[in-house]
Amino acid sequence: MPSASDRTRGSGLTTALKIVGILALAAAVLSFPSFAANPFILSVGVVIMSYAVLATGWNFVGGFTGYMSLGHAAYSGLGGYATALLIIESGINPWLALVLGALLTAVIAVPVGIASLRVRGASFVIVSIAFVLILQLVFQSWGEFTGGSNGLRVPRPFGPDVLRPEQHERFFYLHAAVLAIALLTWWLIDRSRFGIGLKAIREDEDKAQALGIPTFNYKLVAFVVSAFFTAVGGGLYALWFGFLDPIFQFSILIGSYMVLMSLLGGIRSLFGPMLGALVVGYSVEFFKNEYGDTQFHLVATGLLLGLVVLFMPDGVLPALAALLRRFRPQESSIREVTQAELAEQRNSDPITQGAKR
Amino acid sequence: MSLFVQSLVLGVLLGGLYALLAAGLTLYFGVMRVVMIAHSAFLILAAYLAWVFTRETGLDPLLSMVGTVPLFFVVGVAIQRLLMARLRPATLTMMSVLLTFSIALVIEGMLGWLFTGTQRRVRLPYGGADFEAAGANVAVVKLIAFVLAALSLLALYLLLTRTRFGQALRATIQHPEAARLVGIDTDRTAGYGFGIGLATAAIGGTALALDSTIYPSLHWHWIGPLMAIIVVGGLGSIPGAAIAAMILGIGQALLQIPLNTTWAQTIFYVALFVTLMVRPQGFFGGRLAQRF
Amino acid sequence: MTVPNGLRITALAAASCLALTACISGDDQGTDAEGGDDTIRIGISLPLTGDFAEPGKGVQQGYEAWAAYTNENGGLLGRDVELTILDDQSNADRVAADYERLINEDGVDLVFGPFSTRLVIPAAQVAQDYGFLFVEPAGAAPEVFSQGFDNLFYAAPAVADDHYNHLADAIEAMPAAERPQTAAYAAMDDPFAMGTAYGLKARLEAMGVTTVADEVYPPNTTDFSSIAATIASSDADIMVGGSQYQDAVNLILALQQLDYQPRMAAFSTAPTNPEFPEAIGEKTEGILSPTGYTPEADYPSNQEFVEFYTEEYGTAPGEDQANAWTTGQVVAAAVEAVGCADPEPDCQQQLIDWLHENEVETVVGPLSWDADGRPEGAHLIQQYVDGQIRIVLPEDAAEAELIVEKPAW
Repeated sequence: MPSASDRTRGSGLTTALKIVGILALAAAVLSFPSFAANPFILSVGVVIMSYAVLATGWNFVGGFTGYMSLGHAAYSGLGGYATALLIIESGINPWLALVLGALLTAVIAVPVGIASLRVRGASFVIVSIAFVLILQLVFQSWGEFTGGSNGLRVPRPFGPDVLRPEQHERFFYLHAAVLAIALLTWWLIDRSRFGIGLKAIREDEDKAQALGIPTFNYKLVAFVVSAFFTAVGGGLYALWFGFLDPIFQFSILIGSYMVLMSLLGGIRSLFGPMLGALVVGYSVEFFKNEYGDTQFHLVATGLLLGLVVLFMPDGVLPALAALLRRFRPQESSIREVTQAELAEQRNSDPITQGAKR
Repeated sequence: MSLFVQSLVLGVLLGGLYALLAAGLTLYFGVMRVVMIAHSAFLILAAYLAWVFTRETGLDPLLSMVGTVPLFFVVGVAIQRLLMARLRPATLTMMSVLLTFSIALVIEGMLGWLFTGTQRRVRLPYGGADFEAAGANVAVVKLIAFVLAALSLLALYLLLTRTRFGQALRATIQHPEAARLVGIDTDRTAGYGFGIGLATAAIGGTALALDSTIYPSLHWHWIGPLMAIIVVGGLGSIPGAAIAAMILGIGQALLQIPLNTTWAQTIFYVALFVTLMVRPQGFFGGRLAQRF
Repeated sequence: MTVPNGLRITALAAASCLALTACISGDDQGTDAEGGDDTIRIGISLPLTGDFAEPGKGVQQGYEAWAAYTNENGGLLGRDVELTILDDQSNADRVAADYERLINEDGVDLVFGPFSTRLVIPAAQVAQDYGFLFVEPAGAAPEVFSQGFDNLFYAAPAVADDHYNHLADAIEAMPAAERPQTAAYAAMDDPFAMGTAYGLKARLEAMGVTTVADEVYPPNTTDFSSIAATIASSDADIMVGGSQYQDAVNLILALQQLDYQPRMAAFSTAPTNPEFPEAIGEKTEGILSPTGYTPEADYPSNQEFVEFYTEEYGTAPGEDQANAWTTGQVVAAAVEAVGCADPEPDCQQQLIDWLHENEVETVVGPLSWDADGRPEGAHLIQQYVDGQIRIVLPEDAAEAELIVEKPAW
């Protein structure tokens, strides 16, 4: 929430720095395929980008309203299946199918949102998990339509002359484009009246309601937007991966990765979920490389999530950023604190922080 | 007709187990407004402990409860005092979900790590035994599990209604501030409430181990129906949870006659959505459920 | 507060992005050391953890035994073989990433298939895209072969639908009055398990056996009481289970609890497991099961296999091990015949073409494939006779007489 004083203080220099920062980020992302040594590295890049899209999609509801959905895999899975089935059943253009599939998922999200958002958090969480579990059952059983447990092969959007490495590259850029759109939308909402209302719900829903914010409608819109972007992410992944299996699409683990990534990066910040995706995606690959043969990845995910929730509910990276800020000279000059005060602050801060949490 | 009677019997036997487990789940919610996702993970953990116990000692898995029930009670108190109490009250519901979710993942991962994903089953000499009653075959193991669940529920009921501790617990559930004013140590009561909830998971897990295969990720198949039950019954209402469990358990068993197993399972989720649409506070719940 | 914060996070993101790129590419140069020309490197991804872990381990043992045996006997084309086995955690996303990695980063010369139908299709897609020959030890479901993969070969005698063919033939040969009149089916919702049960169902229905119960259950079902109730109340003459392992045990126990006694009972996979008799309380007599492999088979290479394997692992090989070994044999035959084993599309295509046109002698008998990679054979039928699992069908391979009326369980 940039306040007025922030904006005047930041003025031209900060804006310029911000633009430079974003351009550098974009350049780093876009140049990745040329750095990637081989198609395997590139495919890991696509997976990480897909995580980033999903986590950013999740954050529309998680970040703005504070409602933590553990079952967002439902929407990525629906997006994937909707895209695939639209192509297979009606033979329309795959990219059109992607958009239609995501819209369809958003429509499905409306009644689910109505059922789960009328009351407070507990029901929302219960429904979010229940919805994934029910979809897994339905997509598994409804064999003639969804392919059931045999899985569903998704037709390739590019012709056979596009070789696999080149597909990876194209899908990397496509994911990057979707991510950019999602981030832009997040940023626009963040600055709007609507966004302020959502954040008021996150901080204190009763007070927000008392202030005349139509909390239910706001929550529902945020939820549907979130489902839409998650579905686009799921659909794009389906087009790239080319195979859908209900067990892996509607999996609790995918949903919990989205939460972990967002929490890790910080749910209140624009780039948080993306950073979280980078960290989680990279560490998944890394741990697989180092310790491949155990079920330990679940334990690691669980422990990490638990630690973040207990000690850094605002996110690890924001906590690190806050720590970093203290070492910046111009920061102290703005606040006009002496070295002694700064040292004292540094000593006492962790304690007060601990107490607050 | 006989299939109907048979399914009814199976539904009642299954509903009893659901009732016990849902009672535990709703107890946590009552005392702390916490949706305990890890409840069924502890259930599976208890089943694994029973399986290991029988494998190592060759004794009946029911005897493992001598160790697991007190152990789970202590673990439950510890979880409440050491983890849940640390969370900020403003975000307690959400953060507690994430925390218990992470506990569930850790338990599942550890079980998979120690025992692999292979399905396990306790081997009992009376595993296939049955007797006939009222035109239906009743499996001995299922009856033992049902009796165990029914006795535990009865004990829980007596504890809540006939003892001072039960009064304190119910007061804490209904109105924590008022309970504190009349001198109830609500923190300690909440801790014990959590412990009792987890102890029901130990009993339920042992009952489950008698007649079911277990594997690490099985808990997801229990948590869905259980959560649906506590919402339908009204969050925080123990009798509501028990009634809803029985109805839905029987419903599931009967629906399996015309539908297949998978579709019959969806009754829980259909009931969940209908409840939230029609009566979000649940069908048997009181005032408490309305705000959650 | 958010302005400088956002800026810092942006910078951090950009920096970590660059660092990551540098990191994985650097990482790559470390591991990308090619095996050199003196070894043939074979890449495999197997479910060593997760839902398919148990059979996955069997396949791993089979592959490793084959590699050890091959190296002791002069290798392939005079070069040693070296296996690179990755764990796909029984996850389809991972299995594709694994083959992507084996082919691109580890630079393997050949790939062998993973375990389970669910993982075979995504893996075969990757192999196809890079033009690799893909021989797989498990993935018998009909869907595998209808995807248009021209590089795929199933290294076992028969696809799932044909597993019960010998049993169906035997029932058809009975006088009409002695045949079972009604049949009950219960199949796990899994392409392989359903394939076996429905293959027999199609045959039985064609000869006029009425289907009185037909249940499909999800792979993770643990409570079989309702399914058992339906089957028991149908009182079918023959009970057919399309099962893996534990589900069959649970179903049989649930059927015993309801005191249902079919005249014939057939289950796929489970009865061949050595733990099966103990798990269902020794009441195995008369239970039928198809199998693609028996250590007693007198195919030329089988004896060597059983001896070598028993020496290495102390027990006789099972079906999973045999299928893995067969995969090795099939690829080896193609490599020796064509005379190349490198990742070049040209060489891989020659291997694929050779297998389409030739028959290979293996431990499960001579194998040949149709254009989609379906093997053209049938499975043996085993039955518990006097507490021992014995081949009973077809008659020329039988070790014991078929028990037509199953004793009570």
